[in-house]
Amino acid sequence: MKIIKVASVIDSTRIYEYVDDGSPKQGGVKDVYFSPDRKYVVAFFRSPLDFNQKDRIKRIVTLYLDNIKKGNAADYFLEDVFRWPYDAVEKEGKTGVIVPIYSSRFFFSKGYQNSDTIKGGEKVGKWFTAPSFRNNQYPLSLDRSELGDWLGYFQVAINICRGVKKMHQMGLAHSDLSYNNVLVDPVTKSANIIDLDGLVVPGLFPPEVIGTADFIAPEVLRTKHLNITDPNRILPNQKTDLHALAVLIYMYLLRRHPLRGGKIWDVDSEKDELLAMGEKALFVEHPMDITNRVKVDQLRKWDAFWGDTNKLPYTITGPYLSELFKHAFVDGLHDPIKRPIANQWETALLKTVDLIQPCTNPVCEEKWYVFDNTSKPQCPFCGTRYKGSLPVIDLYFKFKNDTWKSENHRLMVYHNQYLFKWHVSRKFIRNENISKEDKTPVGYFTFHKGKWVLVNTGLQGMRDLTNQKDVPTNSMIELSSGMKVRLSDEDGGRLLYVTIINQ
Amino acid sequence: MNRRLLAYFLLDTSGSMHGEPIEALNNGFNGLVNMLRMDPQAVDSLFLSVITFDKVVKNLVPLTDLVTFQPVEIRCPESGPTHTGEALEMLYTLVNRELIKGSSDRKGDWKPLLFVFTDGKPSDIGKYKEFVAKIKNIDFGIIVGCAAGPKAEVESLKMLTENVVRLDTTDANTLTSFFRWVSSSIELGSKSQGTGEIITLPPPPAELVIEG
Repeated sequence: MKIIKVASVIDSTRIYEYVDDGSPKQGGVKDVYFSPDRKYVVAFFRSPLDFNQKDRIKRIVTLYLDNIKKGNAADYFLEDVFRWPYDAVEKEGKTGVIVPIYSSRFFFSKGYQNSDTIKGGEKVGKWFTAPSFRNNQYPLSLDRSELGDWLGYFQVAINICRGVKKMHQMGLAHSDLSYNNVLVDPVTKSANIIDLDGLVVPGLFPPEVIGTADFIAPEVLRTKHLNITDPNRILPNQKTDLHALAVLIYMYLLRRHPLRGGKIWDVDSEKDELLAMGEKALFVEHPMDITNRVKVDQLRKWDAFWGDTNKLPYTITGPYLSELFKHAFVDGLHDPIKRPIANQWETALLKTVDLIQPCTNPVCEEKWYVFDNTSKPQCPFCGTRYKGSLPVIDLYFKFKNDTWKSENHRLMVYHNQYLFKWHVSRKFIRNENISKEDKTPVGYFTFHKGKWVLVNTGLQGMRDLTNQKDVPTNSMIELSSGMKVRLSDEDGGRLLYVTIINQ
Repeated sequence: MNRRLLAYFLLDTSGSMHGEPIEALNNGFNGLVNMLRMDPQAVDSLFLSVITFDKVVKNLVPLTDLVTFQPVEIRCPESGPTHTGEALEMLYTLVNRELIKGSSDRKGDWKPLLFVFTDGKPSDIGKYKEFVAKIKNIDFGIIVGCAAGPKAEVESLKMLTENVVRLDTTDANTLTSFFRWVSSSIELGSKSQGTGEIITLPPPPAELVIEG
């Protein structure tokens, strides 16, 4: 074991150290060494890079890094979303990148339920997208304490969307988005996009990988037999990132692959795989074409719960996400321009979080589910029906003087549900730029003495329009069906309309 | 809907393995199983089968998924011949029986993997040659031959595959790094794919010698 020093190729006064014990961690194209203090890693490309490749790395660690640092929510992106390489080194003709170490939350603190085999191991996404690991009958199931609840995966997906959104805004494509390149922690609801040195700058630097199986876009596989210089050959780009993003979101929420169904396209496994993910790719839950439906009787018993698309159809993710899944896997599967962009996914995920309600079954493993727009909501995971009255809030915006139009945004009310500024006004958009102060709730809903009430904790100009009464700060109103409440009288202020189900 | 990935291990347990080499093989192989259990992709799809060969050829561990695989003790006699050919014969029978081929209504297995470890040379060279030809028809995804120790013969393994790794010694360190390398070749399928289309093995650790 020796400690080796290397100098930055950007600024030769910057020196980095790594421990070489002869067996680095091997990725697809890199060997990874840790610094002695384990604050960063030095990841060397195994093959020497050409001029273009080196130039790209330099830009990633200078230009694009600076771009993030100077932009909005820089800390959020650099701490919570990306492991962005921040310097480049060279040793014996090999190029290396300096990458900050992963936060400890991305290493298993327990891992498997019954052994320490993966304790301390990286939480790559695959652990959380394969159904077997969450089945406690499975001999190598993950410990409950590692799995989080369903709501956590929404926040995980939101973080990934924001990362993709940011890269695309900068004109970059990730080109190899997969569960191997995203670390997740459903418990703290975090996600980190890693392996960013392969970023593609369209028109300037071509991609070097076509992606990882399960996430490669159909058009890339369909044209992969063509020569790389053939104009018809499609290589990873922003649109293929959007395919991978949709697959990731689907897999995190539904723990199965959207294109792996029962249809056999060729008796040869490799050819079948190429067709199923490429030219012939077909959504297993296609609303009209049932060719590729999952054959439930062929599922392993560990996979049967999540694998059965009849029991847990994609529509359990609610109306906003269902719409986008259709765009991604029906309309846009072979028509990349129709794929939803990262920002659309982010918005739909955030709106869906407002439709989520807690399951009343205290031992429900998923704990949350999306309101299904019926008068008798039922948890799709454990089957428990909701008991009691249930207020539903629809948000409206002022169109003209007395005309309010629907925002197509619904908020489910549950005991101790909060109301935030982004509900109150069109001027606040819920995204990574929101300040800490603006994340403070301005009201909350609670079930108090047998009645549903809304408590105003920070709103000026709130008024019950049904009863023509102002609702000052630190007072409350009882909710009743048909009630209209103006949340703010400022420009962009919204109105909420109350419906109470099961009254 | 998952496909299985079957990996067959042919391990030399002839007399010359007696002593430290067999200990090292046990450590290396059981270490491999442990390493694979840290990879979610492998846990989700991998099945292992172990065939040992000396004078007697045994399917020491019949095809088992990685999840339920139990550690085994690989033993060897104090002396005796190396029936590599007979081992290939057994392998041929097993693969033909166990590999699920794709059909019009069921997904087939991935192309199977084969690892052959030997510290000598086939004592039954006639049978060996006969079954090399048959094994080559099976269409394995990867075949890796490992010639370990000073007496191991590379040429006979080269008949079977171009991927032959030569280990100078059969001590614990060397075998551990060999099996670590095996582990990363099994995990290849889940890694990023290059824009070129050739399936390449990961580079071996420094102390290994790749032939060819």
